[in-house]
Amino acid sequence: MNGERGGRRQMARSWAVGIALLALCAGTPAHGQMATERYIPIGKSPGVSQKVTSVGTIDSLSVRQRTITITEPTVRRTVAITARTRIWVDRSRLKLPNLAGRFDDLQRGRRVEVKYLDPDTRLLAEWVKVEATTP
Amino acid sequence: MRARKAREPGRPPLPRSFGAAGQVRSHGIRAVAAILVAAPAIAALLAACEPRPADSEAALIAKGRELFFNETFDGNGRTCGTCHRQEENFTITPSFIATLPKDDPLFVAEFIPALKHDFENPRLMREFGMILENLDGFDSLATRFTMRGIPHVLALRTSVDSPQGPRTGWSGDGAPGDGSLRGFAMGAVIQHFTKRLDRVPGVDFRLPTDEELDALEAFQRSIGRKDELALPLPLRGTIAARGQAIFLDDRLGKCNICHRNAGANASLGGRDLGNASFNTGVEDLPDHPARLAGEPVPRDDGFGIPGDGTFNTPPLIEAADTGPFFHNNAVETLEGAVAFYTGQAFNNSPSGRFLASIDSNGVGIRLDATQVVAVAAFLRVVNALENIRLSNESLEKSTAFGFFGIAEAVTLLEHGAHETEDAIAVLRGAGLHPEAVAELESAKRLIERASRSLVNRRAHTRNAMQEQERARAMLTVEKS
Repeated sequence: MNGERGGRRQMARSWAVGIALLALCAGTPAHGQMATERYIPIGKSPGVSQKVTSVGTIDSLSVRQRTITITEPTVRRTVAITARTRIWVDRSRLKLPNLAGRFDDLQRGRRVEVKYLDPDTRLLAEWVKVEATTP
Repeated sequence: MRARKAREPGRPPLPRSFGAAGQVRSHGIRAVAAILVAAPAIAALLAACEPRPADSEAALIAKGRELFFNETFDGNGRTCGTCHRQEENFTITPSFIATLPKDDPLFVAEFIPALKHDFENPRLMREFGMILENLDGFDSLATRFTMRGIPHVLALRTSVDSPQGPRTGWSGDGAPGDGSLRGFAMGAVIQHFTKRLDRVPGVDFRLPTDEELDALEAFQRSIGRKDELALPLPLRGTIAARGQAIFLDDRLGKCNICHRNAGANASLGGRDLGNASFNTGVEDLPDHPARLAGEPVPRDDGFGIPGDGTFNTPPLIEAADTGPFFHNNAVETLEGAVAFYTGQAFNNSPSGRFLASIDSNGVGIRLDATQVVAVAAFLRVVNALENIRLSNESLEKSTAFGFFGIAEAVTLLEHGAHETEDAIAVLRGAGLHPEAVAELESAKRLIERASRSLVNRRAHTRNAMQEQERARAMLTVEKS
C-alpha cells in the first residue's frame, strides 16, 4: 500500500517536474534564422519557399493600413506588414549585396516573396523580400 | 594482453631457392604471362566484390560526405570539414588549430584582405578555438556578433528534433528557411564561406542546390550515434557507477532531467520531450577566458533576435572528447563543466532557480568535489564505450574491402584508430580503467599494423576488434 502510494507520489512529482520544465523551455519555438535569411534570393529559402511563402508581384498597397496585395499565378492575397515584419531588398540579380529594407521599398509591380507568421491564415507577414530592379 | 601475430599456423615457410637460375627465369616468365592474361578477369571479379552503396540512402550519404569535406561552394576555400574535422570528432580545438599550416582555409581572415576585419577574430580562434557568428544580423559587423566554439555534429539524429521544430547550432536557431538541419548548410555557406563581407550569392559563393542540401543533411544525420542509451548501464568501475547514480538521481545530480539517458533531450513524466533550450547562466560565468584575453566579446543572447538567453541542450555521451565546453568554450575540462552546475552562475540562472523551486530543500544543484569527479568519470566511460563502438564499426567496414579497395580500407582504419585514441585519452585523462587502456593501446598498434599490411590487413583488424571488445568488457558487463 505504502509502496503504491510512494509510486503515485513519484509519478506525480515526475509529471510536475516535466510540466514545469516544459514551461521553462516553451518560450523558444524553433524558427528560421533571420540573419542569413536576408542573403537568400527570392524563392530559394530552404524548406520554406514555395511551401509556406508566396512569391508574386505587388498589385496594390495601403500605406495607411500597412498592407500589400500580391498577385500570385493563381491567387490574389492581401497581407499586413507589422512593426516586427522584416523587409529585405533582394539585389542578388544585380550582383549587389542585399539590404535591410523599409515599407517604402514595397512598390507596385515589384516581385516579392512573403513568409507568413501563420501559414494557415496567411494574414501577417513574418518577412518580405522585395526584388530591386535598379541599384 | 599482448597483440598476437596474425600469421596462419601450419603454413610451411617459403623455400629459399627455386633451383637453377634458368628454371626460375622460365617459371617466372610463364607466371608473368599468366598474370597478364588473367589480370583483366581478376580485376573485374575483385571490383565486383567491392562493397558499394547498398541503396539510394547510402548513395545520398556518400554524396553528402563528399560535399561536406570537399565542396567550397565557390567561396573562400572553406568546406564544412574545415571546422568540423573528422579526426577532431567533427569539431576543432586550439591544440589542433596549432598544427595547421598558415594557409589553411580556417585562417582566411589572416590572408584574404577582404576578410581581414569583422569576419573572424584570429587571436580568439587560435587561442580558444572560437569562431565569429552574426546571429543578430549583419548591419553592425563591428559590434553585433557572437564568439562561439564549434559544436560537434555527432549524433545529430538524436538531438536536432523537438516538438517545437528542429534546433540547430548552439542556440537552436542556426539555420535559415525552416530552421532545419537541411537549411543549416545554406546559413553556414553565407556566414563562413564568403569571399567578401558583401555576401552576394553567385559572386562571393554559390548557394547549395536542393539536392546538395538533401545530401548534406543525410550525411550529417549518419554521423556517430543513432540511438539513445538506456541508462543505467551495468558499469564495472566503482567511481563511474557512483557517478551514474548521481547523474540519474533527480534529487541530487538532476542531470537526467534535461539530459535524458545522457543525451540531448529532456523528459516529461518519463516521456521524451525532445531537444530543449535553457538559460543556464553560462554567460554569467566570471573570468570568461576570451574576455580575460582583452578581446571584444559581446554578451551572447542565445536564441532569437533579440535573444532570450537560452541555448539548446547538447548530448553528453560525446562530451568527454569534444571539449572545450559550452557555447563559448568557457570551460576546458569535463570536470570543470560538471562543476559549473554546482556554481553560482548556474544556480542563479532561470534553470538553476527552477531546479531549486522543485527541490524540497530549495537547492538547485549542490555536489561536492568527489561527486563532481564521479559524474565526470561516468561521462568519460560512456564516451569511451561509444568510441569503442564507433572504432569497431569502422574496422568492421574496412574488412569488406579487398586489395583494390585498400585506400578505402586504410581510411576506415584511420577513423577507427582515431576513435581508439580518443577512448584511451578519455579514460587516461582521469586515471580510469588502466587495464582497459592497455587493451586499447594494443588494439591501436594492431590497427596501425593493419594499415601498413598488404597481406594480413584483415587478420590484424579482427585482432584489434577483439582487443577492443576485451576493453569494453572491462568497462561494462553489457554486451556490445
